[in-house]
Parts: sequence; C-alpha cells; structure tokens
Amino acid sequence: MDVSQLKQYVDDRPEQGVFRVHRAVFSDPELFDLEQRYIFERTWQFLTLESEIARPNDFVTAWIGRTPVLITRDAQGEARAFANVCRHKGSVVCREERGNAKYHVCAYHGWAYDAGGRNVYIKDGKEGCYAAAFDAENHDLLPIARVERYKGLIFGSLSPAVPPVEEFLGELRFFIDAAMEQGPQGMEFVPGRAGYTYRGNWKLQMDNGVDFYHLTSAHKSFLAIQKRRGAGEGHVDARMYDWSKRMALDAGMFQFRSGHTVGWLNQVEVEKRPIYPAIPEIRGRVGDALADWMLKPRNLVVFPNMQIADATTLLLRTFRPLAPDRTEMTVRCLAPIGEPPERRAWRLRQFEDFFNASGFATPDDTVVYEECQTGFNAQPLDWLQGYNRGMAAIEPGGNDLARNLGIKPVASLHAAYRVQNEVLYHPMYREWARLIECGLCGREAYQ
Amino acid sequence: MSDARMLLAAGEEVLQREGIYLDEQRWDEWLDLFAPDCEYWVPTWTSDRTLATDPQRELSHIYYANRQGLEDRIVRIRTGTSPASSPMPRTAHLVSAVLALEPPAPGRLRLRSTWSSHVFFPRTRTSCTFFGHASHELVQRDSRWVIQRKKVVLQNDFIPTMLDVYCI
Repeated sequence: MDVSQLKQYVDDRPEQGVFRVHRAVFSDPELFDLEQRYIFERTWQFLTLESEIARPNDFVTAWIGRTPVLITRDAQGEARAFANVCRHKGSVVCREERGNAKYHVCAYHGWAYDAGGRNVYIKDGKEGCYAAAFDAENHDLLPIARVERYKGLIFGSLSPAVPPVEEFLGELRFFIDAAMEQGPQGMEFVPGRAGYTYRGNWKLQMDNGVDFYHLTSAHKSFLAIQKRRGAGEGHVDARMYDWSKRMALDAGMFQFRSGHTVGWLNQVEVEKRPIYPAIPEIRGRVGDALADWMLKPRNLVVFPNMQIADATTLLLRTFRPLAPDRTEMTVRCLAPIGEPPERRAWRLRQFEDFFNASGFATPDDTVVYEECQTGFNAQPLDWLQGYNRGMAAIEPGGNDLARNLGIKPVASLHAAYRVQNEVLYHPMYREWARLIECGLCGREAYQ
Repeated sequence: MSDARMLLAAGEEVLQREGIYLDEQRWDEWLDLFAPDCEYWVPTWTSDRTLATDPQRELSHIYYANRQGLEDRIVRIRTGTSPASSPMPRTAHLVSAVLALEPPAPGRLRLRSTWSSHVFFPRTRTSCTFFGHASHELVQRDSRWVIQRKKVVLQNDFIPTMLDVYCI
C-alpha cells in the first residue's frame, strides 16, 4: 500500500470541522495486516497485573498481536515476559492460562525452560550428535523486547524502540491512577474468566468502550429493566444506577497523545459505588481530587486495545484482533486487594449485570458490532458519520478542569452528557493513521 | 414403580419442562418452575481446569440469589428492544443422564443432568451449541415440585457473541 492512500481512510481536517473514518478501516484485510505489523507489534500492550503473578514461578499467558506470550515471576521475584514458543520447533510451550510452575516443558520434544526463561533441558541432548555450532547457540526462551510496569499494570512491547511506558501513557496516567489506586494494597482481578468472541473488527470495541451515544438506543431494554428496579422489582441486588438522570449530567472528554482518550461524567448515587464505604480512607491516601474522580464514571482507552471502564463498576478489558472481522475479548473485574467480602459480592453483582457476555448490556453491544461489520461491506457506503458529535465544542489543550488537575490533554470537551460526544474517538484514529504511516515510510513510530 | 423411581420421574419432568418452555418461549410457565427464592448460578471457570466455587468471591456468568433476576431476563426479552434477543434466537434443549443424588434435606430432590442447547440466530443464519451439566435442587410447594436451586456448568465457556438464559 502506498502511504498517500492513507488519506482515503481517515479524513481529518479540524479547521474545516471534518473528521471522517472510512468503512474500509474496519474490513480491509491489507489494513489488518498493517495494523498487526505497525500498531500491535510496535506499541506497548497490556499483559497482566503484578498481582496475577504475585509469587515466584507464577505465570500467565497472553498475546501481543500474533505473538503468544508467557509472563512469569522468576525465582528472583522479577516479572519477565517471553515469546511463548519453543526454540526447537516453535511449538507453544506453556499451554495453560495461568498457574505456578518452576519449569515449562514443551509438549512436543520435551525441551524445558525455567521461570526465568532459561533452557534447562534438551531431551537426549548428549546423545544428539549435535555439532559444536549448536552448543554455541543460545536456547533460552526469547524475551519480549521491553517489559515495564506502571501502578501494578505490566506492559510489554515487541519493539525496543518504544518510549518508557510512563511516557507512553502520558497524561492519561491520572485516570489510570483513578483505577489502580483504589485499593490501599493495590488492585487484583477477581477470579473467573468471561471471555467471548464476536464477528467484527476490533475497532468496533475500541469505539464502543467510550461511546456515550448508544446508551438510550442499544441499551433501551436495560434502561426499561432499570426503571422497574427503581420501583423495587427485579434484580435489585445489582445496585445499578438511576440511568434516567444521565442526560442532564455534567460530562466531557480529554484527548491525549499516543492515541489515548477518556470520557467521563458526573455520578448520581455515588453511594452505590463499592468503594464508597472506603472513600474516607481513599481520600486520606490519595487526596480529594483523585478520590472524587474515582467516584465519577470514566471510560478510557489505552490505544490500541486496552480499556478501563468504570461507568458501572470497575473493568479492565483487552481485545485481540483475530481477523479483520473477528475479535477475541478478555474482560476482567478489577478490584481492591483485601476488599471486604460484602463489597466484593456487591461489585460482582454490578459487573455481571452489565458487562458479562451473559449480562444485560454487553450482548446488545456485541450484536450490533456484528450488524456494523455486515454493513461495512456495503459498496455505496464510504465515510462513516459517527465521529462528529461535539465537534463544535472542542477546546484545544486543557480546559479549567484539566488545569485544576494539573494535566495537559491535547484537547478537552466539557458539556452536558446529552452532547454524547464522539470527538473522543479522534486521537485513536489519528494515532492509527500515524503509526501506519510511520510503518509504510520506514520511520520509527516514536522519536 | 418404586417410590424412588416415581420421585426421579417427577423431578426429571421438571427438568424437561424447563427446556420445553424455553424452546417454546412459554416464559411465564418457565418462570413458574422456579421457587421465588431460588438460587440460579452459572459459575465461570477460573482457569482451564478449575471452576469457581463461591459466587460471592468469584465471577459468575450469571448469579441470582432469587428469581427476580430471571424475571428481569423475561422483561428484557419482551421489550423487543434488545438487539441481542431480536429477532429472537430459536433453541432446542436436550436434557439427559439425569441421576438422583443424595437429597440435601428430607422432602427435597437433588438431580444431576447433562444438557445441550442448540441456538439458531436468525439474524446471522448461524447456529451454535452450548453444553454442560447441571445440578438441581427441587422442593415441593403447593403439591408440585419447583426448582429451589440450580447450578449450570457451562463446559464451552468461551462465548460466541452472547449468552442468555435461553441458551443454556
């Protein structure tokens, strides 16, 4: 693909009030391949939490783009990440999601590696009549180029040329802190997986994770149930919020560098937050500003494929592109370590009610992604018109709120929720185009 | 027929009716099979090998401490405004390998069963199958057996797009 063609995909002319994304961005197999090469394999990717591999020899498996990854806590207590493939014939070495193991043995020819990735055993090696050249080679698991941590989150990158992860997250860190500092002992994933797949492009989830506009249409049935619950009928254990008041609430968004974005709104019924009983402790530890923001619904995207949503209850999700029209979702319930049992159960009921693929909201999202994907094949359709709400209300740089928080976004918006802005998608598509352009021009992505 | 066989047959009928009512979208009759204070639980897997054991500490696909959550599901389906449930998927539930286990208390029945549910989505003209096993505790109310507790083990837990109560 020629780089000049990129303008056919993202039409970004802020001075004329135009921002358009072409349907091919979601369906073109050639673009899918470029995304793998120049986005997923060149940026930071969330791998796991520190608390998921708390003890020596704990491990989890994950993915960076097409690369299977093994993340371990080595015997010395250091978090490590490797391509989860045997050096012998390339077979996936560790075939489990999680566990604790001193050694990882390849199922194919029995080569073994310790938790630090060191090759400790080549089966029948002495009898193998290997040449000296083989013995001179390194046989250890291949380390992922970069592994860094931020507030209990472990990220990895296949490219050595990424900036430090703190710099990559940049000013978005305030909002990450609002999730990761909720617990005095840090944060953990509640045990239990609720993974699912859908027949649609990964960017449908990227967008929808911060989509304010679909609530009253796609989730109409959920709002109907919620209204009934307000009258004391139905699954009131979920302690879901009164959504009918949303439209008039104060809301906004911040755009950040590196493709990151956040949408936020004010909260009604803050007392339904599972952290609410702990808020005095939280205020004392992190200060009023961050504590207040922990109570506000906030959905953020760490470009390209990690989201922390806290509009109903705290969630961390990643999505993995399997094909242009197929995506795998990993959705985890994020909670303070040491949370009292009553609040943990409260959190779980909120999470299951809304976020599960077997819940009341997510299935309606996922099904409409599939309708979109079908629609993206429509020949007369060119530019999508879903990136424009809020265009006339953008403030360049930080607004008063940002200044008060001491953060420097690229742009801000602060208005009633009913604007249901779509401008918070812009940094994601700008970064998408930028990274692919860098790749096609043979430039480093980060200078 | 022995008393034990008659009991098993009575219990098994409740399990079969569950599937039939879902397949025929006889939602009120389906709800009526459950006691108002029934527990309905579909645990998640916590690793490739282990199933969650405590719905208060671990994530569930679905957990309701009483029937009201199931009632919400039916309200949602009936709104006709849930994209996931319109057009309504068509289902066929199969229940077999029903065994009576030691009852938890006198006057109760405890059954284990194997189930599969075929789901056809008219929207995409595709089908999928969910399968697993279940345990039921039944209790007699107003001289009929109703479900007091149901635990569904979903063996294929990586969900294609969505899952609702009518899929399991």
